[in-house]
Amino acid sequence: MLFYILKRVAAGAIVLFLITVFTYTVFFVLSPDPAYMICGKTCTPDRIADIHEKLGLDKPFWEQIWIFISGLFVGREYGEGVNAVHCTAPCLGYSFQTSQSVFEMIVQRLPVSATLAVGAAVLWLLAGIGGGLIGAVKKGTWWDRGIMVVALSGISLPNYFVALALQYILVVKLKWLPFPTAVPFADDPLQWFQAYIMPWFVLAFMYAAMYTRLVRANVIDTLGQGFIRTARAKGLDPNIVMGKHALRPALTPALTLFGMDFAALLGGALITETVFGLNGVGKLTADSITQNDQPVIMAVTLLAAALVVVANIVVDLLYSVLDPRVRVKAQ
Amino acid sequence: MMKKRNVVLGLGLAAALALTGCSSGGGSADGGGSSGEAVKGGTLHVLATTDFSHLDPAQGWDGGVNNFYRLIYRQLTTFAGGDTDDPTEIVPDLATDLGTPNEDNTEWTFTLKDDIFFQDGTEITSEDVRFGVERSLDPDIAVGSPYAKILLEGADDYEGVYKDGHLDSIETPDDKTIVFHLNQPYADFGSAVAQPVYTPFPVDGDVTTTSIDKQPISSGPYVVSEYKPGSTIVLERNEYWEPDSDEVRKAYPDSFVWTLGLDNSTIDERMIADQGDDKNAISGIILASSLSRIQEPSIQERTLEGLKGCTTYLALNTTKEPLNDLKVRQAISYAIDKKSVQTATGGPALTDIANTMLPPTVKGHQDFDLYPSENSEGDPEKAKELLKEAGYEDGFELSLDMRAVPVTQAQAESIQESLAKANIDVKLNVVDTAKYWQIIGTPSQQTDAAIAGWCPDWPTGATFLPPLFEGSQIFDQGNSNIAQFDNEEVNERMAEIRKMTDVDEANKAWGELDKQILESAPAVPLTWEKAVTVTGSNIANAHLHEGYSGGIDYTVVGLKSVDE
Repeated sequence: MLFYILKRVAAGAIVLFLITVFTYTVFFVLSPDPAYMICGKTCTPDRIADIHEKLGLDKPFWEQIWIFISGLFVGREYGEGVNAVHCTAPCLGYSFQTSQSVFEMIVQRLPVSATLAVGAAVLWLLAGIGGGLIGAVKKGTWWDRGIMVVALSGISLPNYFVALALQYILVVKLKWLPFPTAVPFADDPLQWFQAYIMPWFVLAFMYAAMYTRLVRANVIDTLGQGFIRTARAKGLDPNIVMGKHALRPALTPALTLFGMDFAALLGGALITETVFGLNGVGKLTADSITQNDQPVIMAVTLLAAALVVVANIVVDLLYSVLDPRVRVKAQ
Repeated sequence: MMKKRNVVLGLGLAAALALTGCSSGGGSADGGGSSGEAVKGGTLHVLATTDFSHLDPAQGWDGGVNNFYRLIYRQLTTFAGGDTDDPTEIVPDLATDLGTPNEDNTEWTFTLKDDIFFQDGTEITSEDVRFGVERSLDPDIAVGSPYAKILLEGADDYEGVYKDGHLDSIETPDDKTIVFHLNQPYADFGSAVAQPVYTPFPVDGDVTTTSIDKQPISSGPYVVSEYKPGSTIVLERNEYWEPDSDEVRKAYPDSFVWTLGLDNSTIDERMIADQGDDKNAISGIILASSLSRIQEPSIQERTLEGLKGCTTYLALNTTKEPLNDLKVRQAISYAIDKKSVQTATGGPALTDIANTMLPPTVKGHQDFDLYPSENSEGDPEKAKELLKEAGYEDGFELSLDMRAVPVTQAQAESIQESLAKANIDVKLNVVDTAKYWQIIGTPSQQTDAAIAGWCPDWPTGATFLPPLFEGSQIFDQGNSNIAQFDNEEVNERMAEIRKMTDVDEANKAWGELDKQILESAPAVPLTWEKAVTVTGSNIANAHLHEGYSGGIDYTVVGLKSVDE
């Protein structure tokens, strides 16, 4: 088992390294010169050369990558003398546009994205698994059809539309909620809840739809298998047959999907955060793209990639917990 | 001088906006319900899409942030308040007057007022002013206003107070007196010291190059009590600010709260809905798509409108054939259908048609139209005549640099259409937005023509015409003279105007020079965009300020009533 974990972690590290090289190439070699964005309005060729030197952009490509990667572990220094800027490890770069270390910027935004992701995940798992189960058990009834129609609309309606429509109805027309302003939970629990309930719902609506369909199909599939017939035949409580024998194997594909979706959400729900004015990682990404703040764009890209890689490893390990068949193979 | 980058990005946004009715130019645009008497106290909310560029006045420099700086910083002089008759007039701030020059305007002496303090209660001295300027000249942060670097003697190769010690051209004979030695005669230096780079910082206050951007030290009526980049800024009163020492700032609210990172359409929605704290809120310019929704009288009452004070223009690269031929450039000036450019920019609600480079908000602006046509719809016949004289009877092909932004695209297409009527075949060269200013600011990369914009650093021709049309301003990179216009007479005239000791006379001369330049047609003025904004229903004394790109002057706005 330990060997298996190590193998997966090593593979993950290689993937991340390749992604680092790739994003670095895209952002620093192929995009507009970041020096121009830092240089300001009194830009001279000399000044641009200075900035290149300070950012290390005058160095050979592989050396730049090496400095970037070593910065992750030991931090790095931009410039020298009195105006040197120190970026402590893990240094994901330094944004000269905001005078902040990129890691610090992401850490500030992460709680918002995490709150958003966790809350939405709870909602969509409840709705998705519940809806899928009901659909499967009551297959062909109006229950089933009703749930599938809702699920279909969740998949097909773009979430910016759902977000704007929801905000218009609940806030502008009915005045049940104020316009969302995110605050930490500890500051004002009510306002916190009021700010997040709409975005949670919007994200959950979109994701739950996929899970409902997936779980429904899997449960129906499992229910038709031999071991379920055996379980029923030996007189097992139908609830146990459902909960333990039918649902568990039906959940494994949903878990794979969940790992990816949840990780991606932690890396920022760009549209939902933008519409509801939540300053999470997604909003940071959007802002950095508009301002062409390349160290930030690169770091959030890496973060999103890293989260997905990590989520994949975690999911694979959880697999063996959920499904004994995989456990054997892993060992 | 090269305010180009930020400013023109702003223009791109500006181009998406505006409203009906009111005539242009009205500076302190009085919007009915927003102009009532303000009371002291309360919290004024500001809803905004993006964070300010920098809290450090050495680094930030655009209409929006300059407006904000006035709440926490003071300079030797500043613009008058938005609620005065002439908000673009320069008035004394920390200094007792607008400065005393020597005979040839190369040496300027300012005396500081009494009762001026930093946020910790220490008195602001001339040494602090000097330190602030010297700090701002450090190349690592000198990305803001260049008006210290280009005017102060020896500032050119000065590396800032931390590396090079004091700058010899600033003297502080005593605590209240500061003397600036300039590298050229500059009659309008009293306006230059209103720029953010002239903000004082405590000389012995542990200030570093990077510290101010995170922890501003206030000299104005408010202190930054909370700053979460990209999310919120909270300002509270600075108890050491003396209202008697300040003739501009009314500082009505007890605090200001910025909510940053909001979606533009959400802001409009909130301003129109006017619920809860949003009654006490102001915001930026509304989206064009929200225009139709603010026509209701109750919302019109709290709508403000004015010019942003910038010009969008078509620059013609005078070094390229056939644009090096005056007749060809004049033909283009005649041919362009400005009416359709206006429509492409959003119609009269959003923008006025420009016939001069200097917008009406600039002092000394002269109204003229050298290339008139009926209804400003262009005169292709006249253009064809001129082209025939120039030997281009069959027309020619012209490459136009433009950004991939919907408004610019629409403007470019309408230019393309109107020039086609004069047999000029315009090829649109669409450039990525992020690279646009870099490319058109590099003469070796720009093509024949480009759509560009300019906002003056303060509303005079001196900060408008030289950066765009002076021969010595043509650089290999970061060039702002996109037309690469290098006309001996114009260059000489600029040098002459600079030597004028009477600022009003100089402003008038710049207005005349505008005409002289356009006679050579190095550029075609296209539009003057408007600022349109809706305020909350409890907002009072809200006035748009032309010195700050048509933003609401923060220093005079307040609430109508405050709940106890």
